[in-house]
Amino acid sequence: MSTDHVNTTGIDATNSRDGSAGPDGSNGVNASGSAPDESAVTDPSDLDGEDLVLGYPNAERPVIDGESIAAEPGAVTALVGPNGSGKSTLLKGLATQLEPADGSVLVDGRDVHAMDTKALARKLGLLSQESTSPNSITVEDLVYHGRYPHRGFFERTTEEDAHAVERAIELAGCGHLREREVGSLSGGQKQLAWIAMVLAQDTDVLLLDEPTTFLDMHHQMEVMEIVETLRDESDVTVVVVLHDIEQAARLADRMVALKDGEIRARGAPEEIVTEELLADVFRVDADVVQTENGPRVTPLRARHEE
Amino acid sequence: MSGGQSVAGEGATRRASEGRIGWLFDPALITVALASVAVVVAGGLVQVSFGTYSMTVGEAWRAVLDPAVLLDPRWLLNFLVGEGLMRSITGFQGELPELAHGTLIVWNIRLPRVFVAVVVGMNLGISGAIFQAVTRNELASPFILGVSSGAGLMILLTLVVFGGLSAFLPLIAALGGAVAFLIVYAIAWKNGTSPVRLVLAGVIVGTVFGSLQTALFFFADDINVVQSAIQWTTGSLTGTDWAQVRMALPWTVVAVLLSLAGSRQLNLLLLGEQTAKSLGMSIEKVRFALSGVAVLAAAASIAVAGIVSFVGLIVPHMVRNLVGSDYKRVIVGCLFVGPALMVAADVGARLGMGAITGADAQIPVGIVTGLIGGPYFLYLMRKRQNMGEL
Repeated sequence: MSTDHVNTTGIDATNSRDGSAGPDGSNGVNASGSAPDESAVTDPSDLDGEDLVLGYPNAERPVIDGESIAAEPGAVTALVGPNGSGKSTLLKGLATQLEPADGSVLVDGRDVHAMDTKALARKLGLLSQESTSPNSITVEDLVYHGRYPHRGFFERTTEEDAHAVERAIELAGCGHLREREVGSLSGGQKQLAWIAMVLAQDTDVLLLDEPTTFLDMHHQMEVMEIVETLRDESDVTVVVVLHDIEQAARLADRMVALKDGEIRARGAPEEIVTEELLADVFRVDADVVQTENGPRVTPLRARHEE
Repeated sequence: MSGGQSVAGEGATRRASEGRIGWLFDPALITVALASVAVVVAGGLVQVSFGTYSMTVGEAWRAVLDPAVLLDPRWLLNFLVGEGLMRSITGFQGELPELAHGTLIVWNIRLPRVFVAVVVGMNLGISGAIFQAVTRNELASPFILGVSSGAGLMILLTLVVFGGLSAFLPLIAALGGAVAFLIVYAIAWKNGTSPVRLVLAGVIVGTVFGSLQTALFFFADDINVVQSAIQWTTGSLTGTDWAQVRMALPWTVVAVLLSLAGSRQLNLLLLGEQTAKSLGMSIEKVRFALSGVAVLAAAASIAVAGIVSFVGLIVPHMVRNLVGSDYKRVIVGCLFVGPALMVAADVGARLGMGAITGADAQIPVGIVTGLIGGPYFLYLMRKRQNMGEL
């Protein structure tokens, strides 16, 4: 639980940046930041958490006790770890849903807690693990709520809002659902609608909390493809918490592995998804085989020694 | 539901052309509004026709539409803003022209009561709608955050202890409700609030104030005081006239405009605190401001009619069932359904006892709304699987 063996297996965040071309070779393009598309005049945004201490009001000790994390600009960073490792807590801290007891979160060098809430929401979007909505709201109306931070108190929707919503709905592939009521959708369809909403927010940084959990295979792949599109075709900086380490390795440019609220390792997927790390962090013996679709993990048995 | 890419483009243009008030032209909403207006007109006609001085419906119509009033701005202003203000606006100093006997009774006594019912219904409707969104609980009522208990306690205190202040009773009651709401908020506050904490704090304050209120009944030795207190604490429109309309109307206008302006925030609150926050809403500020608007509306209705229960609870329910959960439509719907329910209930309160027993007695309208509200909830409970969630 103490912090003295942080980073013993870790790799410094900045060192691995240039060596992080993924197995399919396409990852390096965005990682180097050399191919900005025409819509992005500015550089992709930085998101830094510095010495974060995060916990819940009634808990004795913080879940995260002094960790730093830097999301690679314009790339996908995946947080992985076992249940209770603090990965969702860390994400909530980055998303300002949790006020850090200590440390700070910086977006492009500015402290998020000092920023105006709407200005921040134009920079940083969050897809929560559980979202609730009235059943009778249509998907389109839900997606329009994503434009909230772009509108003034009395402003009506503009052309720009309409375009952002169209783009979001198209990217999330839920055009066929637009007139449906959210209450009538399946879990996977709901998730696509919510992803469209957070995409309509049009932020530079996107935080996704277990977007594929509880979805069937088809919808898991849909969500993965959306994130891949973001990775390959936009400058959005994505931080995603994933339960499935294979998915994470396939999707991410960089991975961060947590255990007991500590960051145990960070680096390119092939450096993280190793038999040693699976034993150390996830407490399983596993076979790891590198394939053209990323590493394949075959868990063999749970480790019981402590 | 069908369609693919081509529909996408149309959707965008439809949105853009819909404009600022396009959403008002929703078939369901228009139906609700028209039906409610019909109920208000019918109830109003019954109210102005019957009573100690009975008229036929035709006579009542003629009295309501009497050109001697409708075409005379002096009379209209006299009713709407009061005689003093009318004289300073129009500069008119003489005696107002004589009115026919029927017209006088309708315009002076019976019609204002209908207007008060309309205003109270609007206020309770939007107040309940806002509180249900703020607490994310569809069993919330305008009185959930301590408003009714605070008002009730102040009513009892005024009537029993500070009898000299009873002229200011409406104001004191409204103020008591607002103060109780602030106390509830202060109790619920701990690095921010949450819907659950607010509701719990409301229950706590309600319990304590309710006990004090009951205790005060023991010190009332005059049956008239007790009856008056019961009228105020169950809600009654007996004896209301233009003074009550004038007192509530300005606050009602403010509350209605603010709640319409806040409807987008209310919609966002329905998506949950986390989502609202991640979309950049200053959730504590918005919640407090919206609650303030709802308390203002509730206080305006308390000041003229006392604590009318159930209207603020069931009106938003009915409206949501009819027009869906979009709060712009819900608020507008409440502005129509609230008055319809209040006017209809007041017909029962004023004439019901006479029709049933033949006695010339009126009962507080709050009793009628409770008698309507209970069965309505029973019906909802039987019909729907999950109550409570919004």
